[in-house]
Amino acid sequence: MSNVLEIRNLTKKFGDFIAVDNMSLAVREGEIFGFLGANGAGKSTTINMISSLLRNTKGEIILLGKNIAKSAKFAKSNIGVVPQDLAIYEDMTAYENVSFFAGLYGLRGAQLKERTVEALEFVGLGDKHKAYPKNFSGGMKRRLNIACAIAHRPKLIIMDEPTVGIDPQSRNYILNSVRKLNDMGCTIIYTSHYMEEVEEICTRIAIVDHGKIIAEGTKEQLKAIITDTKDIWIGIKSEDEIKVEPLKQIPGVASVRVEEHMVMINSKAEVNNLNLIIQQLIRDRAEIRSVEEQAPNLETVFLTLTGRNLRD
Amino acid sequence: MNEILWLVRKTLRSTFRKKSSWLVFFGLPLIGIFVSMLIYGNLSGQTLRVGIVNADGDQALTQDAIRFIQGLDQVKVTMMDEEGLRDEIAAGKLDNGIRFGAGFAESLQAGKPADVQVLSVKGATVTSYVRAMLNDYLGNVASIAQATSGDKAAFDRLYDAYLQSSFKVSAETLEDTSSIKYMTYQSIGFLIAFMMFSSVNMTELILKEKENRTFLRLLTSPVSARTYVLSNVALNLFIMLLQIAVTLFFMKNVFHIDSGIPTGELFLVLLLFGLAAISLSLLIVAFAKTTASAGALSNLIVTPTCLLAGCYFPMDIMPDAVKRISNFLPQHWLLDTINKLQHGETFGSLYLNLAILFAFAAAFALIAIYRFGRNNDTRLFV
Ligand SMILES: Nc1ncnc2c1ncn2[C@@H]1O[C@H](COP(=O)(O)OP(=O)(O)OP(=O)(O)O)[C@@H](O)[C@H]1O
Ligand SMILES: [Mg+2]
Repeated sequence: MSNVLEIRNLTKKFGDFIAVDNMSLAVREGEIFGFLGANGAGKSTTINMISSLLRNTKGEIILLGKNIAKSAKFAKSNIGVVPQDLAIYEDMTAYENVSFFAGLYGLRGAQLKERTVEALEFVGLGDKHKAYPKNFSGGMKRRLNIACAIAHRPKLIIMDEPTVGIDPQSRNYILNSVRKLNDMGCTIIYTSHYMEEVEEICTRIAIVDHGKIIAEGTKEQLKAIITDTKDIWIGIKSEDEIKVEPLKQIPGVASVRVEEHMVMINSKAEVNNLNLIIQQLIRDRAEIRSVEEQAPNLETVFLTLTGRNLRD
Repeated sequence: MNEILWLVRKTLRSTFRKKSSWLVFFGLPLIGIFVSMLIYGNLSGQTLRVGIVNADGDQALTQDAIRFIQGLDQVKVTMMDEEGLRDEIAAGKLDNGIRFGAGFAESLQAGKPADVQVLSVKGATVTSYVRAMLNDYLGNVASIAQATSGDKAAFDRLYDAYLQSSFKVSAETLEDTSSIKYMTYQSIGFLIAFMMFSSVNMTELILKEKENRTFLRLLTSPVSARTYVLSNVALNLFIMLLQIAVTLFFMKNVFHIDSGIPTGELFLVLLLFGLAAISLSLLIVAFAKTTASAGALSNLIVTPTCLLAGCYFPMDIMPDAVKRISNFLPQHWLLDTINKLQHGETFGSLYLNLAILFAFAAAFALIAIYRFGRNNDTRLFV
């Protein structure tokens, strides 16, 4: 399989601040490539460089075998960008919006009409041709935003957090359309900080932190990184008295997270420290209700690798 | 080119879908003409109705003077008796009454013309034109009389020669009636202000697209920022063309204000000014970060400069300091050009004015482009 996109030693500085730090990656044809990172990790900055909105400080981006610095127009016409912030015209109908954006890629006449109708159909707005987006729900606007990026049938579709702030129904619709697009032969880069989404649809995932890719691979490969750790979830009555620091001092414990009625501990697999952990909790007067050992999931992978939660 | 047309088409559509746009772009200049006519005009038409009482009999010099007034074709002369004159002026059927007293021709030939009474109820602007033309004429005849000091044959020779030339001159200055001049000036003055505002309005769309995030989305398509700005300028220019055409058409064919300048020339200078207006709005947009600040900035710039340049009031009533300041304003140079064209100067001889207008356009555009370039590579590029 050939690479649709190749990024080599990509760096972006804003003044002294390094938003993207010597990043290299390759996206192969037919993939749904997940780009996973917390707020400010540098996802949008990377995407803006791929879509020629920002100039990179260093490194190169190769799209379909051509360096985008030298052939920006070629690159742009083969990419469809779904921006993180909605970019649609409220004073134009849904049909006009899609038709206008598709026209920017050179489509005209009967072909333009056909593709516009098709794209609206695809995102489930087939009955909303004449409606104005100002009357749309958040989810419908997001879907229109997507339709505007796919009507010209780009080789690579980049979606920057397309499901932020929408209802579960629209979200499922969007995830399904991403799969359908992929089935139709589109390569997709999918940015998100929703772990479940990425885990559900992506064929390969890169975890980004502080502008660097800290891990990359399929879900299974990523989870395999941490076979040497285990998750211990302890249900408790009240988390108010729990002190995190002493728990972290226990041999083998890598990270501790306290949530509502739950203490989540990630620990080295080979160290048997359950006793010590429970003793400490009892010392904190915790009323223990359950103890479970979990197989690692991507959330833990992320936590282990970055030392922080995906969302705060 | 194709891309530009596509962008223009979209903006044109969504702009003129709103009824308010029609009012802003075309309605206001027309209202401007209407207001100028209310201020300066007798709406019924531009002819001055003048009644003349001749108490001097059929003296040749008096008859010539009357013919001179009749010769002004903005003027419709009716001969009548004294009583009729008073009645008709009082009834508003006449704008002006002129009375040549007995012995007028004699006094003129003696080089000391007796006073000609010019009557009117409408005030100085209406009277002054006829009075000025007539005084000019009589003054010249009187000086011929003085120069020839009683030599009848010499007087007749010079007088004939003068009649030949003066009637020609008067024919050329006919359109220069004060009210028409002011009306044209005022209509154009308003048009200038509206052109500037609508131009800023159009250019602000760039900022609006940035605020709506559609601008960055556009840039992810094969369209470049330069193409986008160019399409905005092209549309702006197109709307301005229409605006000028509509205004001039209505001025001439509906309101019957004859500017006294060939329409083509007027169109060209206005368009040249239009370029300056567009560059100025680019400049405003280049420095403003949001549509709100661009709006505030344009109000802060356009209204006072139009005032100082004499778009709203004739320049004659402004103090000298203001007149000097106005030299630095493009509006002044447009109005000055129009003024000079109205006074019979040719288009070609005004190259300095035209060059200054062009220089304003070029300077504003260059600063704007420089500024756009500096904004490069940030979140809010352009
Ligand atoms: N134009 C800019 N000037 C200065 N700093 C910037 C600029 N754009 C982005 N940054 C900084 O770069 C970092 C990465 O931002 P980016 O938008 O790429 O993050 P992200 O991974 O997309 O986060 P999010 O999930 O919030 O969208 C952030 O710290 C941000 O503040
Ligand atoms: Mg982002």
